[in-house]
Amino acid sequence: MLELIQLSKAYRQPDGYSTPILSNLNFQLGAGQSAALLGASGSGKSTLLHLIAGLDKPDAGHILIQQQSLTDLTESQLAQLRRTTISLIFQQFYLISTLSVADNIRFQAQLAKRYNAQWEAELIERLDLTSQLQKYPHQLSGGQQQRVAIARALLHKPALVLADEPTGNLDEHSSEQVMALLSELVKQAGSSLLMVTHSKVMAGYLDQQYWLKSGVLHSKESA
Amino acid sequence: MSMLLLSLKALLSHYWRYPWQALFLLVGLCAGVGLWSAVQVINSHARASYEQANQVLGTQAHFWIRAANGTGVSTQDYTALRRLGFREVYPVVQGIITTATNQRIPLIATDPIVLPAEVLQTNTSTVAFNDLAFIQPPYQAWFPPDLANELNLTANTRVLLKNGQTLPPAILQTQAQQGRQVLLDIAPALKALQRSTLSYLAVTPLSSERQTQLEQALPPHLRLIPNRQSLDLTQLTQSLHTQLTAMSLLSFAVGLFIVFNAVRFSLWYRRPTLRTLRLIGVSVQTLMLAIGLETVIWSIVGSSLGLLIGYGLSQILLPAMSASLQSLYGANIGSHIILQPTTVLLAWLLTLGGLIIALALPLWQQLRLPVLPSHSLSTYWLTDQRTRRYLLLAAIGLSILALVLYPLISTLIQGFILLGIVLLAGAWALPSLLALSLTLLERLLPKHSFQGRWLIRDGWAQLPALRTAMMALLLALTANLGVEALVGSFRTALSDWLEQRLSSDLYVQGSSSFDLATLRANPSTATWLKAVNERTQVTLRYQDQPLVLRGLDHSAPDTQELGITQALPQTINLWRNLDTQQNWVLANEQLHFLGSKQIGEKLELQTPQGLKPFTIAAFVHDYGNPYYQLYIPNRVLKTYWPQPEPWNISLWLNNPSDLPKAEQALLNAGAKAGDWTVQQTIKAASMKIFERTFAMTAAINSLTLWVAGIALLAALMAILQERLPEFAQWRALGVNTREQWLVMSVPLLLWASITWLVALPLGALLSWLLIHKLNVMAFGWSMPLLWSMRPAGVLALMTLGVIAITLVVVAWQLKRQLPQTLARLGGQL
Repeated sequence: MLELIQLSKAYRQPDGYSTPILSNLNFQLGAGQSAALLGASGSGKSTLLHLIAGLDKPDAGHILIQQQSLTDLTESQLAQLRRTTISLIFQQFYLISTLSVADNIRFQAQLAKRYNAQWEAELIERLDLTSQLQKYPHQLSGGQQQRVAIARALLHKPALVLADEPTGNLDEHSSEQVMALLSELVKQAGSSLLMVTHSKVMAGYLDQQYWLKSGVLHSKESA
Repeated sequence: MSMLLLSLKALLSHYWRYPWQALFLLVGLCAGVGLWSAVQVINSHARASYEQANQVLGTQAHFWIRAANGTGVSTQDYTALRRLGFREVYPVVQGIITTATNQRIPLIATDPIVLPAEVLQTNTSTVAFNDLAFIQPPYQAWFPPDLANELNLTANTRVLLKNGQTLPPAILQTQAQQGRQVLLDIAPALKALQRSTLSYLAVTPLSSERQTQLEQALPPHLRLIPNRQSLDLTQLTQSLHTQLTAMSLLSFAVGLFIVFNAVRFSLWYRRPTLRTLRLIGVSVQTLMLAIGLETVIWSIVGSSLGLLIGYGLSQILLPAMSASLQSLYGANIGSHIILQPTTVLLAWLLTLGGLIIALALPLWQQLRLPVLPSHSLSTYWLTDQRTRRYLLLAAIGLSILALVLYPLISTLIQGFILLGIVLLAGAWALPSLLALSLTLLERLLPKHSFQGRWLIRDGWAQLPALRTAMMALLLALTANLGVEALVGSFRTALSDWLEQRLSSDLYVQGSSSFDLATLRANPSTATWLKAVNERTQVTLRYQDQPLVLRGLDHSAPDTQELGITQALPQTINLWRNLDTQQNWVLANEQLHFLGSKQIGEKLELQTPQGLKPFTIAAFVHDYGNPYYQLYIPNRVLKTYWPQPEPWNISLWLNNPSDLPKAEQALLNAGAKAGDWTVQQTIKAASMKIFERTFAMTAAINSLTLWVAGIALLAALMAILQERLPEFAQWRALGVNTREQWLVMSVPLLLWASITWLVALPLGALLSWLLIHKLNVMAFGWSMPLLWSMRPAGVLALMTLGVIAITLVVVAWQLKRQLPQTLARLGGQL
């Protein structure tokens, strides 16, 4: 499903020096599998997620999603890939403030032309959003907003879900609730999930855990 | 460092991070102040020029000595008066000379040796006026540099005239307020004009005893006339200056809209800073003081830059203004502009005032917010409805006020206030109309269209940020359409007026040697001459204004077709009849609108036989005439004023091919080459003068539109900066460039179209008020309003052009900044 080959990325500093973030990184994630990406702040977890989503470009190496290399894709092809194959869930939720909760949930599925009313009803029920549909994002709590973001990410049943600290803005109780729902619904949608987190507890909800250290990925055991 | 300075430093540091905002704030201030100060500089410069003009050769004289029959004063009469000891008297010659290349140049001449001391004291030129070279052969012809430039004249060139004469060597310098006239000594001037008489004698102040002595010394054919025209130029041009000031204030208002937008956005972006400062203990009062200090800094920087731009603009606009004043009023203004300290102070105060007006509401809104974070800009639209409602209510209130004020308006200033109220009402009603258009679009779109719904909802989010820019655009479009209609109506009115007034084939003017009787006596004349109108004039004062009595041949073709706007039945017949009981006169509209005279009303006019009554039979359309004028059949005029001044003679030919025959006959009857003009030449010259007259108006008009374009660009750039992270989120969700542009530009294009549509009736209303109310009050003559859709079409294209440029700039910014913003998604943006 997802394969990273010899992936490298460095950031150029204002003084002209480059700071390597990822160095010849290799990684594979199978269809329907989930993995947590742990690491210290500034270790490059979010950078890796952005590279996989095509939001940033690697300095070297390849990213293959469903056997397709991202390196050769144009901006519009990347947009097409993000709308149909990948879903992103952020810590800040990034809901569209001008749209109602119902429209936010349908946003990506409508763009991808993969709207499924039955699956939507199930997601809404499971995520306990039935009474919130006509509201606007600013009228919701943080936990509710994150559940809307999850519904939006899963409604079109993408092949890969990328989550960047999805529970970072939530309290412990809400975090566990959201995480349980996310891992369960991702499985139900048949998607793969790669999640960046600081929390070992949240990482425990997923099939595999990896540590990103000095630009290289280590499995939980070796780390 | 005090809390105040720390707060100020923290607030100002924002602009280092967002230099675009600083730039747009400055652009708004500079655009507004620049146009306003350019007009102010020109206005004060023109007024200073009039002051100087009132001190020049003869114009500042307290009395004039003129020939009773208008033919001029002989040099013998002048010498005799000097010999009798009247040192207060000095000669003036004025006339028009025609060059060999058919360019007409105004000429003025005097004898500098005899100029009284007080006249010399008013001379501010650095060049000695009594330079010997000026008064000795080969003499000198002093050309103002701009006139010399127009004639392609270099120093020491001798200009060849159409009558075969040559001017003395050209000296490129200006004597104090000779204006755009060539200045000569009397002797070469009389030679150039082929004249033997002086135009008039000017007289400096006289005691009553001295005045009596002079009156007694005058031969019977000369008259001592008090000069009461010295203030006329300032009075006459007042309307034009008021109009230009109003237009420049409109530009300032458009600039203010940009400032309002920029200030609102800069405060919005700094809300975290303001919040942090309040959280660490900075009081609201200290914050207000810091923002107040920042405002003063901006006002100084903005007004200084604006003045610099204004000064540059005034240099560019001066030729156009000069042409306007010359052709409308015959007023000459100099070419060197000085920035007055009062203009600088006024510009700063205006900028500061403008900033405070722009800042007051957003600052109040910002500082009354709770310290803790509130809604984001994107949710601001939810509370915007209330603001729109208030603006609409205010617009309705202003419209009612305008309706109440309309019948009460009696002065030009009040008229401009009325226009301001109408424009402001239109601008304030616009946000509600924009919102309505979005609601209607929402209804038109299919209910199930998700993208349509997204587009509409996003439109609502853009509206609060764009409505101010749209209001600025509306003001500019309305003013543009209004002024275009005004100028178009002027053009047609002038063209029609020229058709009527210049219907003859030849004009003879300013010839002292041409004798009409000789021409008529020639038997061959009948073969080519169809009709003649010999015009004469007498100048009087009425209601302390110059009043021209124009004597006409009542049977001449152009007299028959005078454009009558109001009349008694059988007016022309009444007027033609030599009815000494009634003395019917035709009056120009100026006497009706400015002099408050009505049909059938009697005017008491000063004749050599004392006051005599004259009755107004009709009002005549008299385009562009700054004076009151009465039309009287020559035979009636001569009954009361036996020796009127000859004005001009119009000749109609049987056939256009008779022109060479007619010209030869004119020469045979004493006219000299250059004394007559062919009709087509005058028409072409008049239309050229017209275009130059409105050059200044057109320049300000298009600059105002560009200022509005900048307002739109500034607003869109601010929106882009604010929404860049949001666009990045859209991209992260798979939104492509086309979809993003559709959502961004459809509401913008919809609102620009609505703004243009609203500008059409508002522009028509503005032009109606300008033509039927303000023009009549300012100039005293009326004309029909001609509305054309062509300028509206051109403006639609220009608006689209401005939007296209704006979108291109925004697209470029987006392309440059989006990848970086995308890479920072999820982090602190």
